[in-house]
Amino acid sequence: MQKLANPKLFLRLADMVRPWVLGATIVLLVLGLYLAIVQAPQDYQQGETVRIMFVHVPAAWMALFVYSFMALAHGAGLVFRHPIAHIAAKAAAPIGACFTFLALATGSLWGKPMWGTWWVWDARLTSMFVLFLLYLGYLAVWSAFGEDNRAARIASVVALVGFINVPIVKFSVDWWNSLHQPASVLRAGGPSIDSSLLTPLFIMALAYAGLFVTLWLLAMKAEVLTRRIHQMQVAQAGEA
Amino acid sequence: MNAVTALIGRDLKTVLRQGSSAGTAVGFFLAVVLLLPLGLGPDQALLARIAPGSLWVALLMSVLLAAEGIFQSDYEDGSLELLTMGETPFEIVALAKALVHWLTTGLPLAVLAPLLGFLLNLPPDQVLPLTASMIIGSLGISLLAVLGAAITVGLRRGGPMLSLIILPLYVPMLVFGVSASSPATAIGGETAASLAILGALSLAALVMVPIAASAALKAHLQ
Amino acid sequence: MDFSAPHVGFVIAAYVISALVLIGLAARIGLVLKARQRELKLLEERKSPRRRAPR
Repeated sequence: MQKLANPKLFLRLADMVRPWVLGATIVLLVLGLYLAIVQAPQDYQQGETVRIMFVHVPAAWMALFVYSFMALAHGAGLVFRHPIAHIAAKAAAPIGACFTFLALATGSLWGKPMWGTWWVWDARLTSMFVLFLLYLGYLAVWSAFGEDNRAARIASVVALVGFINVPIVKFSVDWWNSLHQPASVLRAGGPSIDSSLLTPLFIMALAYAGLFVTLWLLAMKAEVLTRRIHQMQVAQAGEA
Repeated sequence: MNAVTALIGRDLKTVLRQGSSAGTAVGFFLAVVLLLPLGLGPDQALLARIAPGSLWVALLMSVLLAAEGIFQSDYEDGSLELLTMGETPFEIVALAKALVHWLTTGLPLAVLAPLLGFLLNLPPDQVLPLTASMIIGSLGISLLAVLGAAITVGLRRGGPMLSLIILPLYVPMLVFGVSASSPATAIGGETAASLAILGALSLAALVMVPIAASAALKAHLQ
Repeated sequence: MDFSAPHVGFVIAAYVISALVLIGLAARIGLVLKARQRELKLLEERKSPRRRAPR
């Protein structure tokens, strides 16, 4: 793990791994979309709209996963003092923000036919909206401070404090009467969804995860190159 | 302990002499509380229903909007940097600053708000629960405002970013604060549980904010 | 999928917006990466100017 802190080594590893991840992602996406759109049966109550679940739930899961990844990365960066760990979080943030936006948008599109309303301030929706705000605030920090060490440390504070808030928000608003359905996958008694719907869901979730890794690796490469460019510009300015 | 009290004493004296964000916060608060009934119309029943929530939102917004300048003067005249080099751990310094903010801004507003509740037709039997919840919540509110100020100190237009970062953190305080102040709409029907959780949130902030704010300020001062 | 079922429009909209956002995100990252690679190449050429191709 320590060796990955070396940007050159990380890039070489990333370049090796990326095509495979991309390939797997494409396979999973094609399979998942086929299962979701063609194979999966209509829901007894919801009809076709249940298919929105296959793009909504993976997006929501990724939104939470990516933020956790960012908090972990910053934590590692603070503990081990590797700048690349902070960059890892920075690279992941826009992707996570997009997933959060999609969770909110597809959720709205699912809510209108299902519950008759585009939006309601209940447990899950409020938590997701707060998560979206956390992403925006985090991105604002990087853009306000540029790319030096200072931005990384302030971003760490924002990410870690925000991460503490995520379970707090979920916990605090879970007490509200929830319009959003309660947990049906990660529950004590096992999933309550039929496997004909569960399989496409998991495949799409894996596809979204693969998509995150692929895009994140690309973003990391861009970040590492940006730093290299800066170093070279500084060096060349020094020689001039 | 002496260092903390010395710091607090010094800051309090400065604040009392120069004024602070407290004036701005009170100004915002009065504006909101006066404009709301004007905007919503004379329906007294409606006002009574939304009074606790509106007062809570006004409290949060006014503290937030006035938070930008908390560290400004200390940052500009270099006294903040001096404090990092002193003997006292900087986390203690941050804690002292937060407590001063609470004593001069958060707490006074929390006491003032229910008193102004009559402007929003707040039912008299809700004044006490509202005061209790606001006093307990005001500690967390002040602490988080100070954290926001620490994160954005020195930025030219740090206000919007401060609000963006701290607003999500205020959401649980708002949820439980309003729940604790109004028995009719309390989560689970009991205000006591929400009050306890609100207290827990404030205490959690008491532990977390000094560490986080100190880290943010040190990052700025490098 | 039954395209004549009620509310199908919502389903299509959800999938389309997901595709647009994710493709847009990928495109943005890809463009930034390409730009950086070009910049880096320019800087490296400036550092050690290419000799003429050997005859």
